[in-house]
Amino acid sequence: MLRRACLWAMVALVILWTAFPLYWFLKLAFDVPAGAAVFPPPFYPTKPTVASLATALGFRYVDKDGQVYLPSGLARQVRIGLLNSFILALSVTLITMPVVTLLAYTFGRLEFRHKNKLIMAVLLVVALPPISIIIPFYMLFLHLGLVGKLGGLILVTLTVTIPLLTWMLIGFFRNLPRVEALARIDGLSRMRTLITIIIPMAKVGLAVGSMICFLTAWNEFTFAHILVTGTPATTLPPVISGFLFMSPQPTQLAATVLYSLIPPFLLAYWLQRYITTMNITEPIVR
Amino acid sequence: MTELSDLQFALLVTLPVLLFLLVIVVFPLGYAFWLSFHSTRFVDGARYSFCGFDNYIAAWQSPGFWNAVAVSLHFAMVSTVFTLGIGLMIALILARIGRGRGFIFSLAFLPWAISDYATGVIFRYVLGGRSSIFTTLSYLFGFNTRVNLLAEGIVIEGLALGFAWHLAPLVAFFLLAGIRTIPVRLYDLAELDHCGPWSKFRYVTLPYIRYSLFVFTTISCVFALKTFELVYLQTGGGPGIASATLTYFIYKESILHLNLGYGAAISLYLLLLFVALSLFLYVVWGRKEV
Repeated sequence: MLRRACLWAMVALVILWTAFPLYWFLKLAFDVPAGAAVFPPPFYPTKPTVASLATALGFRYVDKDGQVYLPSGLARQVRIGLLNSFILALSVTLITMPVVTLLAYTFGRLEFRHKNKLIMAVLLVVALPPISIIIPFYMLFLHLGLVGKLGGLILVTLTVTIPLLTWMLIGFFRNLPRVEALARIDGLSRMRTLITIIIPMAKVGLAVGSMICFLTAWNEFTFAHILVTGTPATTLPPVISGFLFMSPQPTQLAATVLYSLIPPFLLAYWLQRYITTMNITEPIVR
Repeated sequence: MTELSDLQFALLVTLPVLLFLLVIVVFPLGYAFWLSFHSTRFVDGARYSFCGFDNYIAAWQSPGFWNAVAVSLHFAMVSTVFTLGIGLMIALILARIGRGRGFIFSLAFLPWAISDYATGVIFRYVLGGRSSIFTTLSYLFGFNTRVNLLAEGIVIEGLALGFAWHLAPLVAFFLLAGIRTIPVRLYDLAELDHCGPWSKFRYVTLPYIRYSLFVFTTISCVFALKTFELVYLQTGGGPGIASATLTYFIYKESILHLNLGYGAAISLYLLLLFVALSLFLYVVWGRKEV
């Protein structure tokens, strides 16, 4: 009995560690602007309201006391940011997944010369900080007229997602049952084996991969910050840093961050169940 | 139809992708390499002039650079200790509750799905002096002081808390997967031998997760050296330069001051640091685990 109580106390600690920082910040989204200025900061919203959720998106909000909350100045940016982030994440996922499926399959299941060196090149890109490769891309995009364009940002984001997802899927493909030889005996070509046998077997891994890819693109900050801040191609992350630095509005900042957290909230359940099918801890280079 | 060999097939499917990788690896690195040997001036557009190793030497002699190296290494070390420690604790706790509790597992995993920048914003409010939870607690218990975990002297540990909050769930879930492969009878045998909780962990659990611990130590070090938005949004490298990591230093030089060559030279130093640190971890630890 004591042991059970002890265990649940520890579980409570895990929940507290995870949820409390989120709560402490997101409570601001449900407070009035004056409440965010109260010192010392209170545990609950001083006057619970959804005003900031509305004003951050550009709606006028009138509460039941007749208090009027005007739309935020960055609301237009938030709206196009949400839309652009969604387009970016979806396009990047649609381009990345077919490419990494081929790559990870090849690296995970075929033997050929120089394989390990190629894998190391992929891993090197996973390790590269975006901040050190942004200048070359910025210069290139300046020539191509891609600065401030969503297409340019999609291209650059692919340089993050393709290596990352290849790395995550190599171990997954390697651990699938070895059935190619059987399929080949039945007379299927390599491409057909891949499409009709391997990919259906791999659908869990590919689904998890797509979610990680979507989130990675949705969450990408550095490239977006430098390439599209303040343009019509802006995504949500630079808008959020705008709320933080250009017009410090804690309640609207929290409301915008809350909107940006919708995909992580929706995907966390599937990700926690299937994340370990990715085998990223297995030795990749053998 | 003639059959393709493994190599031919591999080439066929990967050639377009290899070209793409060539563009995304070789182009930016090559360009950065070229830039690092040039100095830039911005009069009527950009002017580049060859300057040999000047940028590398200037960085080597700059106190700001060495501060950034020290801050980055300090941050990577503390972050990794926090991440692995907290990740291991979460894994050990979750291993004892059944699989059926999807809600708790989802919640515990959630921080990894949240971006670095949102983590930065959240922890800026949770730890920063005026709005920090610790300030509220200090007023609640009558100490009436502001408690700022992002102040000089402790800022790196403060930043590392946010980093660990974000990355520890990933570590925890992989360690958990390892722990679940341990046959229960090993624990029963340990019980027979009157092993305490520590001995059980040390002699039964640990051998199954040592390799994962090594991999995540490497991953955590690399990600900590690589992170930029966490520092940018939480402290802006401050107070002063107390949390100006190498990535932040590169941002300041390349983007804000437009010293493109100098920034590129420091990027290449950072790349060297990645390689050196990974090799070091492999030699002192990883070699024994594979």
